[in-house]
Amino acid sequence: MTTSERRVQLQAGYVLHHRPYRNTSLILDVFTRDRGRISLVARGARTAKSRWYSLCQPFRPLLLSWSGRADLATLTDLDSTARAWPLTGKLLFSAYYLNELLMRLLQPLDPHPELFQHYVHALDRLVGLPNTGQRPEVVSFGLQSCLRMFEKYLLQEIGYGLILDHDVHSGAPIAAEGRYQYVLEIGPVPGDNDNRDAISMSGSSLLGLARDDLSAPQCLQESKKLMRAALARYLGDKPLYTRALLRQLDYKS
Amino acid sequence: MTALSPLVGRLMQALRCLPGVGPRSAQRMAFHLLEKDRKGAQLLVDVLSEALEKVQRCTQCRTLSETPACPICSNSRRDRSLLCIVETPADIQAIEQTADYNGLYFVLMGRLSPLDGIGPREIGLDALTHRLRTESVREVILATNPTLEGEATAHYISELMHQAGIRVTRLAHGIPMGGELEFVDSSTLSHALNGRREM
Ligand SMILES: [Zn+2]
Repeated sequence: MTTSERRVQLQAGYVLHHRPYRNTSLILDVFTRDRGRISLVARGARTAKSRWYSLCQPFRPLLLSWSGRADLATLTDLDSTARAWPLTGKLLFSAYYLNELLMRLLQPLDPHPELFQHYVHALDRLVGLPNTGQRPEVVSFGLQSCLRMFEKYLLQEIGYGLILDHDVHSGAPIAAEGRYQYVLEIGPVPGDNDNRDAISMSGSSLLGLARDDLSAPQCLQESKKLMRAALARYLGDKPLYTRALLRQLDYKS
Repeated sequence: MTALSPLVGRLMQALRCLPGVGPRSAQRMAFHLLEKDRKGAQLLVDVLSEALEKVQRCTQCRTLSETPACPICSNSRRDRSLLCIVETPADIQAIEQTADYNGLYFVLMGRLSPLDGIGPREIGLDALTHRLRTESVREVILATNPTLEGEATAHYISELMHQAGIRVTRLAHGIPMGGELEFVDSSTLSHALNGRREM
């Protein structure tokens, strides 16, 4: 590694999580556009005078500069490019859910510039939700469909993308009126009998999920089951804390 | 450089359990206590061991207390229908100094931290729900910090309160007294705008 590679300047990113480090510092887990997930030490960020502390919060668009070891570099400069996404209430918990997924599923130092755009887009959608309609069910629908779409792109980016457009046995396109069994890590196969290791999906739900249109209630419901099963395969045994909190908030995610 | 006496070294190491105390300040403190102020050191030993022995959590509000119910919880002149929820015992001190509040408190001893696994049980919300079932509280005031985690905590508790049919309010976030608008950061300013009042 050359010296120039060890200094990174003005990289766009978001703090996913921060934790105290030594007496006055923080360790930040950051999702950056071009360098992927990275851990940075923010020296002195926990002192009263530090300008950094209020910037080091999640959901705030940042420009970060750092230098040093790849696995734990030192933050050298930090600026915010816009104010933090104004997330409150259940939407804030949902945004934390996105961060927990990224923390759990992204390998450090793997760049995912497209996923980064999806992340920004998902935050944007969450923030806009309260304005999409006054009725809680409209907000709830928008929230769930936003989370499902992010999960889909996340799986795709980390190399476990779902197959949603053809039946993996025959290669035939998915028929909207057909019934399928989605066998994890293989794909959809025609059939209706309940296979223990597969998720039963309608053709129209598969197609809806493929084109990011989860507006049919059945599609939303079946996509949720599919995503949960697919994610569980890569998340291991440790539960997702934010999912439990969302459930306790009686907010079915 | 001569080696330190082993006990002095252990004292320095022990002092480093204090927040913000690194090796150099630990050394300064140890020499100060042993060389310049042995009386003060003895007092520190006595008070610390007595406090360690007697101070527990208040059974009602969870703040530090040497009696089962702390002085605030056992004061019959306090308004028992008002309950203010704070993150730490230090927050109680801060609010008590205003002398504007005459209700009771509940201390979370932290805040929800979704990605660290610090959930409702860890911040004592079971105890809070129990307390609200057994006492008649008219209003709960959320005084968590104006951070994201403070906001998440406040939201979670407010949902519990709505379910229980109890009125919930939240401290207003605003511009510090003596502050000038141009130096206030934009998120504080937008909170202050959102929380503006009729005059
Ligand atoms: Zn008490």
